[in-house]
Amino acid sequence: MRLGIALDARRRIIRVHLLLIEDDPEAAHFVLKGLREGGYSVEHAADGRDGLFRATEGTYDAIITDRMLPHMDGLAIVQLLRQQGCDTPVLVLSALGNVDDRVRGLRAGGDDYLTKPFAFVELLARVEALLRRKSGPQATTALKVGDLELDLLGRRARRAGREIDLTSKEFTLLEFLVRRAGQVVTRTMLLEGVWDLQFDPQTNLIDVHISRLRQAVDRGFNRVLIHTVRGAGYVVRDDGP
Amino acid sequence: MMALSDRPPFSSSFRTSAFRLAIAYCLLFTVSVSTLLGAIYLITRNVLANEVDNVILIELDALADEYDREGQSGVSAELARLRESWGRAGAIYLLVDPALEKRAGNLSAWPFAGVPKERWLEFDIEALRDGGMVRDPVRARVVEFPDGYRLLVGTEVSERRQFQQRFRAATLWAIGLTALLGALMGLWLSRRLMARVRAISSACQQIVGGDFARRLPVGGSRDEFDSLAVAVNHVLTRLDEQTMTVRATFDSAAHDLRGPLFRLRGRLEELQGSARLDAEASGSIDRALKDIDSVQRTLAILLQIAQAESGAALAESARLDLGELVQEITELYEPAAHAQGLSLSCDVEVAWVNGHRQLLTQLLANLIENAVNYAGAGALIRLTARARAEGVRLEVADNGPGIPVGDRERALRPFVRLSRAESAGSGLGLSLVAAIARLHEARLTLEDNAPGLCVVVQFQAARPEDAAEQHAVPPAAAPRVSAEA
Repeated sequence: MRLGIALDARRRIIRVHLLLIEDDPEAAHFVLKGLREGGYSVEHAADGRDGLFRATEGTYDAIITDRMLPHMDGLAIVQLLRQQGCDTPVLVLSALGNVDDRVRGLRAGGDDYLTKPFAFVELLARVEALLRRKSGPQATTALKVGDLELDLLGRRARRAGREIDLTSKEFTLLEFLVRRAGQVVTRTMLLEGVWDLQFDPQTNLIDVHISRLRQAVDRGFNRVLIHTVRGAGYVVRDDGP
Repeated sequence: MMALSDRPPFSSSFRTSAFRLAIAYCLLFTVSVSTLLGAIYLITRNVLANEVDNVILIELDALADEYDREGQSGVSAELARLRESWGRAGAIYLLVDPALEKRAGNLSAWPFAGVPKERWLEFDIEALRDGGMVRDPVRARVVEFPDGYRLLVGTEVSERRQFQQRFRAATLWAIGLTALLGALMGLWLSRRLMARVRAISSACQQIVGGDFARRLPVGGSRDEFDSLAVAVNHVLTRLDEQTMTVRATFDSAAHDLRGPLFRLRGRLEELQGSARLDAEASGSIDRALKDIDSVQRTLAILLQIAQAESGAALAESARLDLGELVQEITELYEPAAHAQGLSLSCDVEVAWVNGHRQLLTQLLANLIENAVNYAGAGALIRLTARARAEGVRLEVADNGPGIPVGDRERALRPFVRLSRAESAGSGLGLSLVAAIARLHEARLTLEDNAPGLCVVVQFQAARPEDAAEQHAVPPAAAPRVSAEA
């Protein structure tokens, strides 16, 4: 499944430059390797001072930083960057143990927060989401994938011209996926984005919601729009005829 | 009395010890002043009375000597001379013969019927003053000479009486004013004391509510309140330092456990991604990854418990609608429960609590997962959130086998699984619920749903002063910044 994402990323024409600030050499090795396999060009800084220097000097599409770093805390780097007017998206990685770390990380100016250990697909999906966000929020009233159309004002969905009956939550879920069409969305991202919940449920709650959504959206159609990415999450994509 | 809206009703100030103390001091003060003024009044009155009496006695002696020397005519002449010179103010003289007929003096007639027995006499005379007749009091003494003549010497004491009356009135006024002043002073002092106490107690409430950076107000007057505040602030700073130490300990413990887990996960993922593995090896790696997830989840729960117990998480708490959260999470779990043949529903109303959203989410999730895991197939699980005057009451009820009364307390301890057959969960679920409830000063009880288990979490009513923060809490349905594309 990693291959699928990697190929997606390689389709990009413009090369994306990332900066990884991580002091643990082995962790940095995995992350660097995974991101490079994903088609990104990644620079590595092994401590906070070097990280801040590179982040200030270079131009990156996104920055991934650990929180606990020698010389300088990851959040301090984010705060300094934001004070300098730098709005490069930042993903904060953390192995810290506080429930409020995420809130603090976002408050400091981080765009997303990921607690270690995480599955690599989770990191890839979030980096992808950060990069898409940078290209600007779509102030749009309608979304379209294949023959699926979403009317965001009336909160109605149609497929092949036929109205789909959805609950309000199902519509929010579908909208979240369609806004990120072609992009892998993990279960945690759905919990955070659709339900606004920060927790790790024991059972796969999201799968059941997706399967209900599938019943409504894909049932009776030859072309499936909601795809499962094994081990990662879901993607809404029109694969064409 | 001035009633200020932010103060409790006046009647409640009567119950404070400051007010009682003020009243006691006021009473003591008033009694002391009354005693002092009363003593002065009595002494002054006696001195004045003695002075009058002494003058009368001296004159009487002098006139008696005159009588002894010169006889009745000498006294008459002396009285006439005194009348001419009009020496002493308000002096009254009268010489009468044995038949009580006037012989000399400035009194028109013997003022008594017969001869009074008392040595000191008091009677009124009529005098022409200020163009009218007034009655003036007179104090007098009579001597009887051997020939039956009687001499009366007295003093008109109306001025003395007036002075006495004024003195008495002034004394009473002074006592009254003292009492009034004491009462006002006491009231002012007790209000001032109560304001200090109230400032301290409100600061304490905010600190307990999670504002750990707050300190008690120090006035700068170096009084006992200031020294108390300084001492408490010192304790708070120490506690704050300890909380920081606890947080740092959590952080380094978490860091030291999550770092290796992360590397382990990375190695396994790398292995799985790179090599051509047979199905068996790939399956092993998948299981190992699942184990890492489970270790990670348990670690997260332990950290949450430790944090909830330390109270450090309250800094992020805010006013939130528990009813809405319950509904949100019920809707999240409903399809999964339905797929397992369980019925999950909720019945909520708007129920404001002061809480940590993420931890309350975890509490609800754990209670629902617990019910789903233990209530058995076909069970009905029902969540209710009700706002009552005494606070919000949350219930998670199922009609499963329940927990026997004797086991209920044990069920809340960490790593305790009541049913050996069930292996779902880490055994930490309910102890995390208990820790989160304690953090929120909520009471957690396991009750009998007859049949089944009813977990009750009774929250305290949200404090009214937190209402202002209401706008700061984002509506639950709005996606967070991080998830916005």
